[in-house]
Order: sequence, then C-alpha cells, then structure tokens
Amino acid sequence: MSDDNGSGIDVDEYDDVWVFIEEHAGEVMPVSWELLEEGRTLAEKLGDELVALVIGEDVDEIAEEALARGADRVLVADDPVFEPYRADPYGEQFRAMVEAYKPSIALIGGTHTGRDFAGRVAVPAHAGLTADVTEIDVDDDGLLQARRPAFGGDVLATILCEEHRPQMATIRPGVFEAAEPTDEADGEIVEADVVVEEADCISEVLEREVGDTADITEAERIVAVGHGVEGDLEPARELAEALDAELAASRAAVDEGWIDGARQVGQTGKTVRPDLYVAVGISGAIQHLEGMNKSGTVIAINNDPNAPIFEHADYGIVGDLFEVCPDLADRLEGDLQEVVQ
Amino acid sequence: MSWTIAVGVKQVPDDDEVGIDPDTGRLDRASAPAVMNPPDRDALEAALTIRDQVGGEVIAVTMGPPNAKTVLEQAVAMGCDDAVLVTDRAFAGSDTWPTSLTLARTAEALEADVVVCGEETTDSSTGQVPPGIAAHNGWAQLTYVEGVDARPEEDRLAARRDVEGGHELVAADLPVVVAVAYGEFDTRPAGLHRKIYAENDFEPTQWTAEDLEIKEEVGLDVSPTSVGGMETVDPVDRRGEVVDDIDDLAEVLTEVNA
Repeated sequence: MSDDNGSGIDVDEYDDVWVFIEEHAGEVMPVSWELLEEGRTLAEKLGDELVALVIGEDVDEIAEEALARGADRVLVADDPVFEPYRADPYGEQFRAMVEAYKPSIALIGGTHTGRDFAGRVAVPAHAGLTADVTEIDVDDDGLLQARRPAFGGDVLATILCEEHRPQMATIRPGVFEAAEPTDEADGEIVEADVVVEEADCISEVLEREVGDTADITEAERIVAVGHGVEGDLEPARELAEALDAELAASRAAVDEGWIDGARQVGQTGKTVRPDLYVAVGISGAIQHLEGMNKSGTVIAINNDPNAPIFEHADYGIVGDLFEVCPDLADRLEGDLQEVVQ
Repeated sequence: MSWTIAVGVKQVPDDDEVGIDPDTGRLDRASAPAVMNPPDRDALEAALTIRDQVGGEVIAVTMGPPNAKTVLEQAVAMGCDDAVLVTDRAFAGSDTWPTSLTLARTAEALEADVVVCGEETTDSSTGQVPPGIAAHNGWAQLTYVEGVDARPEEDRLAARRDVEGGHELVAADLPVVVAVAYGEFDTRPAGLHRKIYAENDFEPTQWTAEDLEIKEEVGLDVSPTSVGGMETVDPVDRRGEVVDDIDDLAEVLTEVNA
C-alpha cells in the first residue's frame, strides 16, 4: 500500500479493465453481465484486456460463462472460504490480486454486496472509488470518467482518479444492457493464488435465507407504488396483473416495509427502463424520477393534483387510486377479452 | 463486561427543506437548514440498543466544522454518554478514503469495541465510509444491518443483514463496524432533562488531525478521487397531459400494451 499519495505509484504499470462477477451459491447477479458489456467498450477504447474476476467456491461454470459473455481472461479464486460472501476474506483476496496483477479499472455492481465489497477493498488498495455510477467513459488520456448523480439527481458529477490505481466504481444495476453469451469465446481462465485462510477470518455467516430475487430492471411494464397506497398493494397488484407488469415501489413504500427493497426504483434503488411505467400514489420526488427517467410512456395516478409526478408523466389522472386502479384493471381485462373474441 | 460503542453522526442539509432556486430552477441546498443525517438516527438507536444489551457507554463522533457540534448535542440529548468533535481545516476536501481514515483513528483512540454508522449520508450517498473505517483498522464490518444481537460471552456481535433477495445472520469478532439499514430502527425520544443538559452544560471533546497524528494523510491533496466537472441534467420531456376520463387512460394503456 502506498501511503505517499501521488508519488507512490506509477499509474502506467496498471492496465486491464476488471469486472467483479458477483455470485451467491452459484447464481450470478445480473448487474455483473451488464458491467461486462460496458467493460468491453472501455477495454476496446483503451486497447486493454477485459478481465472477469470470479471469487467463490466451485465456480468453474461461472468462469466459462464469463468467457462466453466476452471476457478475454477470467481470474478465478476458488475456495470454500469464499462461500457464502463475507467482506473480510473477499477484501483480503482482492487486495492480493490487485498487487499481483495491477488492474487499471475495476467495476463492481452497486448491490448491497457490491457496495460492501467495494468499500472494503478500496482502502487497502489505496484506490479511488466512485459510488453509484450511472455513466462511464474514458477520456483521451485513458483516464476513467465515472459520472454519478449528485444533489438529488439534479447534477451529474464526473469523478476522476488521476494518481491512484485501480480506478474503482460501483455501478447502479439496470443502467446498461447485459452482455449476451456467444459461441466465439477464446479467452483463458487463470487460477489465482488464494491468500485467505478460514482461521484468519473475523466474521462468520450463521444463517442465510435467500428467495427468488426480483429483477425489475428487465421488466417491459411496471406498476410502481408509493406512499399513497397506504400499505394496501391490492389495487396496484390487480392493475399489474391486467397489464402483465412487474410490481415496483418508491423508497417511501419500501421504508414502510410494504414491499421488498429489491423492487425499489430510484437513486438508492434500481434504474428501470420499461416501455410502460405506471406510478400509483407516488408523489414524484426527484430521487425517484432519476430511477424511472428511461421509461417509455409514464402514467401517473394520484389524488393530489399538485403532485410533481404529473409534470414528469405523459398521461395522468387525478383520482383515488383505490377506485382508479380496479376500474382500469376491469376495463383492460374487458379489452383483452374483446381481442380474444 | 461492558463495551465502548462509538456512533458516527453527520450534519447534512435538510432534504425536506431544500428549495428550488427561482432563477435556475435547480435545487438550492445551500439555504437548507442543517440537520442530523436521517440514517444516523437509526445508527444512534442501534448503538443505544447494543448498550442496553451489554452495558457500557455510547460516544457520538462527528467529523466536520465547529458548528457540527449541534448534532453531537442532539445525540447526547437522545442518550449518548459522551461525544467527540473531530474538526480541523486540514480535513477540508477529504473524499471517503481520508474521511474513513480519520474516523478509524478516532475509533482506535476511543478504544471502541463497536462503531455504528448510518448506511449512507443523504448529501453524498456513497455508503463507503463504514467499510472504509473497518478496512483501515483491519476490523470486521457488517453493513445493511436490520437487527443487532450483542454476544459478550463470545466477544462477538451478531447482526441480521439485508442481502439481495433475503437476509443473513452474521457474527463478527470485536472490534466491528456496523452500518445500519435506513428505516429499521425507531429512535427513542430525547428526555427533557437530558436535552437541557446537552444544550446547556455539555461540551464535546475536540480533536484535530494533529491529535490523531494524521495531518499529512487527510484533505483534498491526498484524496484519491477528485471532481472533474458537473453537468446539469436536463429533465426528460414528457407530455404532462392530465386526463379526466378513465376511458382515455384505458385507451392509452391498451395502445402501449398492444
């Protein structure tokens, strides 16, 4: 580690674009493949290699999949100590790999695990770390430009890391398209030395209960609920069923415990880009708008005519959602029946 | 057995009071009053809960300008036993790397067994400082914590964490840094006597970068990241059409859905 900022390292010694493949019990978080696609673009601009970083236990298949999805090389640290995820062994392993391979850029998904991991590893690597990035590029000098929303989404700040390596960023899920598997994979899989031992670990996972993870970022239609639903999701659920849409939520509804955090849209949640976004009882705070800006048609249902959401919707109706939603659902079901007949 | 529990609190602009600049139409955060970062209220409650479970003392810590001592008074009114204001012009411009170093050194100086923080601040939203504190000190970390379970007989703290699609229970060796998930702990009200004491008689301990022996390792110059520019984001152009008739809306939905 360099304590001597600015003069401690030679940035030219560092190259390659790393993407952290987040996996839990063999299942890869979709954001990892999104980063691989974006990492490919950066690597080509820089003339660097795209390297997938796979840490876990029995991860051969994941390593193969990373190659199929476009990695030039996959660095694998395979050991029981890495399952399930814990910050301290992952952090120590990453530090050792940075020392050994000297990556220039490292991209990590902005999931709970990704943010836990990134915050842990940037310190011992003395890396620059930008949080919650939504746009990424390299400038003419090859310097990473990581853009993130600031001031409640009003401003996009460009964060640079000129004198430290790696240049790290956590990237918000759902912002980029995922890399698709191809048959043309010709990269290599490299086994990295595992530097962590169970005896040195300072944390222990006692229980882990994970169900199906909702992925609203892939949905074509979304019905999202806000504080206005007052804990009753039924009207929105009915409408979602009629539209064959996924249910999502604003932070307010998640904080109230009405709906799972994996379904949260907005600055601290996910970015979605459905063809249709129906906001039910959502006032339209700027932090929420930021997560739904990429939607096609936006429809707002709210009983407050002054709610900001109406200015950010294509169509809106001022009315009681408990009446409007079921009514709309009925009409839509009727339309569908007409089509069938 | 009793633990020393440090709790990090930060003064931020009140998001609910952030106005719109009439000239530019953009958010004006500078005019908003300063308040305690809302997720830190959860952290305070979590810290007090750990004290209830195991005994010991809770010390509030803030890094900021001298006037940030108001949040420390608030923390003491809410039940903290003591407070430390870490303040020095040398800290100006620190990104998350030197900020977490400063708080890590403060936690060491307090001989803290547990450091509790909010999951992120509402003004910068990085969430990087709690893991950074843990990493600087080589301590364990538990982020997105929804419940705490002190286990003094094992010298460990167990916590229920929110993970994608579920939850896990993790036990960490002391000392440990805990970042509390926002909205998971209901803050107890401040007692009147405590409030009067905090506002009138209480003075926080003050530490500088020199006291913590990190004068050369903090501030803008040693921060790995820098701001390269700011661009305002143009709002997405929407029709903004409000319809009166539900039939019209059903028609739009059918069209989009087709």
